[in-house]
Amino acid sequence: MRPGIPASAEYLAGERGKPAVLLVHGFLQTRDFPTVTTLARGLHDAGYTVLSPTLSLNIPGRKQSLACEAVHKHSLDDDVAEIGRWIHWLKSQGHPTIVLLGHSFGSMQLLAYLSAKPDAAVQGYLGASLIAAQIGSTDRSTLIAQLEERVLNKQRDLVNQPLSFCRKYPSTPEGLLSYVRWDQARVLASLKRSPVDVQLIMGDADDMMGGGWLKALQHMQVPMAVVKGANHFMNGEHEFDLLDNALKYLDVVKPHPPR
Amino acid sequence: MNWSTNIPIRHIALAFITALLVIVSLIGGFSAYQTRAVAHSLEQHNQNAARSELAAAVERLLSQTKEQALNLARWDETRQQLVLPEYYPYWRDQRVYESSMLSRRFARAGLYTPSGTLLAPGSVNRYLPARLQADSSPGEMTLWLANEAGAIALYASIPVYGEIQRQTLLGYSLIRVDFMPALLRQETLHFTHASSVSLALKPGETLATSELFSRLNFKAQPDPNQRLFQTILSRTLLALFVLLVASALLGFAIYNRLLVRPLGQLSQDIDDMQHGHFSAKPSRSHPMRISELENIRRSLYEYQLQLRVLHGSLENQNREFHSQARQDSLTGCHNRRAYDEDWENFRQEVKTAPQGVAFLLFDCDRFKAINDTYGHAKGDRVLSIIADALVMALRANDRLYRLGGDEFATFLSRTTPTQAKQIAQRCQSLLDAATFADLGIKEPIGISIGIAFCAPEALGHIDDLPKQADIAMYTAKLPGRNRIALYGEDTERASQTLVASRETSALFQALSTPGMIELHYQPIFSLPSHTVGYHEALARIRYNGDLIMPEAFLPVIGSRRLETQFDLAVLHQIDADLSSGQLPAGCGVSINLSAQSLSSPDIASHLMELSRHSADHPLMLEITETSLITQINAVHTYLELLRTVNYRIAMDDFGTGYSPLRYLVDLPVDVVKFDISLVNKLGEDNRAGQVVADFARLMTDVGYALVAEGVETAAALRRVESLGFAHVQGYLLGRPVPLAQLADAAAGAMPDANDSMLA
Repeated sequence: MRPGIPASAEYLAGERGKPAVLLVHGFLQTRDFPTVTTLARGLHDAGYTVLSPTLSLNIPGRKQSLACEAVHKHSLDDDVAEIGRWIHWLKSQGHPTIVLLGHSFGSMQLLAYLSAKPDAAVQGYLGASLIAAQIGSTDRSTLIAQLEERVLNKQRDLVNQPLSFCRKYPSTPEGLLSYVRWDQARVLASLKRSPVDVQLIMGDADDMMGGGWLKALQHMQVPMAVVKGANHFMNGEHEFDLLDNALKYLDVVKPHPPR
Repeated sequence: MNWSTNIPIRHIALAFITALLVIVSLIGGFSAYQTRAVAHSLEQHNQNAARSELAAAVERLLSQTKEQALNLARWDETRQQLVLPEYYPYWRDQRVYESSMLSRRFARAGLYTPSGTLLAPGSVNRYLPARLQADSSPGEMTLWLANEAGAIALYASIPVYGEIQRQTLLGYSLIRVDFMPALLRQETLHFTHASSVSLALKPGETLATSELFSRLNFKAQPDPNQRLFQTILSRTLLALFVLLVASALLGFAIYNRLLVRPLGQLSQDIDDMQHGHFSAKPSRSHPMRISELENIRRSLYEYQLQLRVLHGSLENQNREFHSQARQDSLTGCHNRRAYDEDWENFRQEVKTAPQGVAFLLFDCDRFKAINDTYGHAKGDRVLSIIADALVMALRANDRLYRLGGDEFATFLSRTTPTQAKQIAQRCQSLLDAATFADLGIKEPIGISIGIAFCAPEALGHIDDLPKQADIAMYTAKLPGRNRIALYGEDTERASQTLVASRETSALFQALSTPGMIELHYQPIFSLPSHTVGYHEALARIRYNGDLIMPEAFLPVIGSRRLETQFDLAVLHQIDADLSSGQLPAGCGVSINLSAQSLSSPDIASHLMELSRHSADHPLMLEITETSLITQINAVHTYLELLRTVNYRIAMDDFGTGYSPLRYLVDLPVDVVKFDISLVNKLGEDNRAGQVVADFARLMTDVGYALVAEGVETAAALRRVESLGFAHVQGYLLGRPVPLAQLADAAAGAMPDANDSMLA
């Protein structure tokens, strides 16, 4: 999806009259992550075209989930750019209406995309188990400052900083900095300023971000479906809740007429 | 092998133990050989197992390496590094191992550009080749081995593509494995000796994996169980051998102590017993541990005790037997055997201690007549009394020997002829004092004693003493002797009789050789005509040209009881002389016969044969009166028979023998020849002379023809002539002459045939 870095995606063509769904997996995962796969199958079964890419994370033809300890030379900007390319590809496939559906960190990446200049074909946003970029107990501002200094000083040494669920996450300073900037506040702000309709699907048993995260989202009065008992991955029986809530949202999205 | 050779039991034990050890050694050697063969087979099996195992390990390592190389090539992060290699060293040195993609210990990973150039070359990558091999195929995995300064490295390279379609070659991934450590770390090597595994690869040389196994050198891991088995077996065999050797030595010691030594002791005891050695403290008093040997020991000990008692008894019996063997059972004096031994010893003793030696020979006078007359029992008693008397007469240390029959002997040491004669006289005196009346024997019993003496300087002739005493004894027995004769003093012609052995030989030769007996004829003159009436045939023996006289051989005849044989030989010769015709016709011949011959049928038969000459030569038989005629009746019958064939019978030596009057009464005697002792009495002017004269006159009156013997003087001739003697004989008138001389003389004066035989 970027020069020299080929990437792959699963494309499940649905009914033309329905919006295409760009389904983005979670942090360092692939489209083969069970929640994503189940969701893709369910949406496709419901008649929706689903494009489920595996973000390359600057790895050519990445097929495997990337280990936390691997060298991370990707950044949120790269991810956003790659999402943009897949939206472009969907559009090139004749899908004028696109709904972004992300799980976990993918929801945050899609939100970052929406924060930039989203394509007009994008008509909706579904964020399942939305999270912000967690950095453990490190002071975020101090870390950002350090990273910015490194970037400024062109210090290319890998920075090993906990990120999200990774306790070790060796990354380039600029790559890490791009993720670290997306804290809870920025996520909430981005939700609030989303150019498209937003719908969150959260599990009330999701403790990935702690108990206050769900309250914070509710406080922001963002449309949100809370699946009772569902954890962060919404696996098991909650996969159907996730799918139902996603279909409910998609049913109300008005697709653009095809060009 | 000579099986007759005795083998000591110790040698048998040694041979048995040696054979046992040899057998054990052979078994041990065979076991060791079998063990070695099994061990070799197991080693071969181990070698094959090691080969298979190592081949599997190599195959497994290659497979693992291939898998790792493939996984590495398919790994997302590999592709990431080929595209964005900024942090390639981190990935290569840390990430690859953290992700467990490779083992940090044995493997290295490297990435190469599509052109085959190593990413980020430097000291860190010194293990990896800077460029891939030219023949590395872009589409396939390539494996090879290389010797890098002695270390064997296994390389696996594989191309990495950017997408599944394998259209975009991103580069190559390479795995370098430290071959030997990786191969040997595998815990599956049980049969292969890890330190022996090596690859025959020169430094800098590369090798395709297809040729890997052919260049691989290895040794099988020694099987600890096999080693343990061999060790246990070797130790067991060694222990068994040592145990057997120790057991054999111990067994030999026990065998030696319990069996060999006791058996040897028993054998020694038996040998001692065989040689008559009886130990005072026999080792057999110690009990033996083997019950059978103990039984043998006990039996042997008891047997030895019995044997000792028996031996003592035998010794006593031997002494007794020896004594008895040397003792005459009848008389109690020493016997002939004792005589032979003692005489031999005595001869040897006197040779070393010169001394005067006398040999005394005793013979009972007329013992045979006594024996025959009174029976053997009384004869034995007579001998016993004689022996007792002789023993009493001898000196204390002198021994009396009974040589046989009525003959006794003794030899006196350190004596003189006079002492010997005194002893002999003492013997006769004691015997004369002895009485035989209790036995019913009225006749006087005396002994004749022949003495031979050898002076100390003449001991070289000591061996002649018995013969000389024999001669002396017969001299003593001659009529008119005093019954004691000392050889050389009392024996005439001792020089001739000294060679008695020569006479003995001559006598025996003459008895078997006709012609050796030569008859000399002494004339017997008629009275008062003084003409030759007839001749008395007197025997001589011609031996080697010499003439042996009767005094020399008659004792031999008497001692050997050869009277009959000799008389037969004489009769043969007389027959020959009479048949020769040399005797003048009508010449009568008087023939001497011993009393013993009278009862012999041979003699009688021969006399009958000889009687054929009686027509030409009147024949007369002279029976000596000195012999006791025991069978009066038989002799009487014979004489009567002979008289029928014209023999006349003369009583010879009248007056010197037994019972002359009885003989005259009981026998048909025609002529009585007065012994010279009686003839000599006639010359004495005393009562004895008167008695003899009156007796001669009386006999003449009753018809006996008297012949006076030994007339050697004219006075004697006149005296017998006056007393009416019919014939006279003696050297005064004529000596014995050979037949030829008689024939010559006969030509001058022929006797009157009628007067010749005192008809």
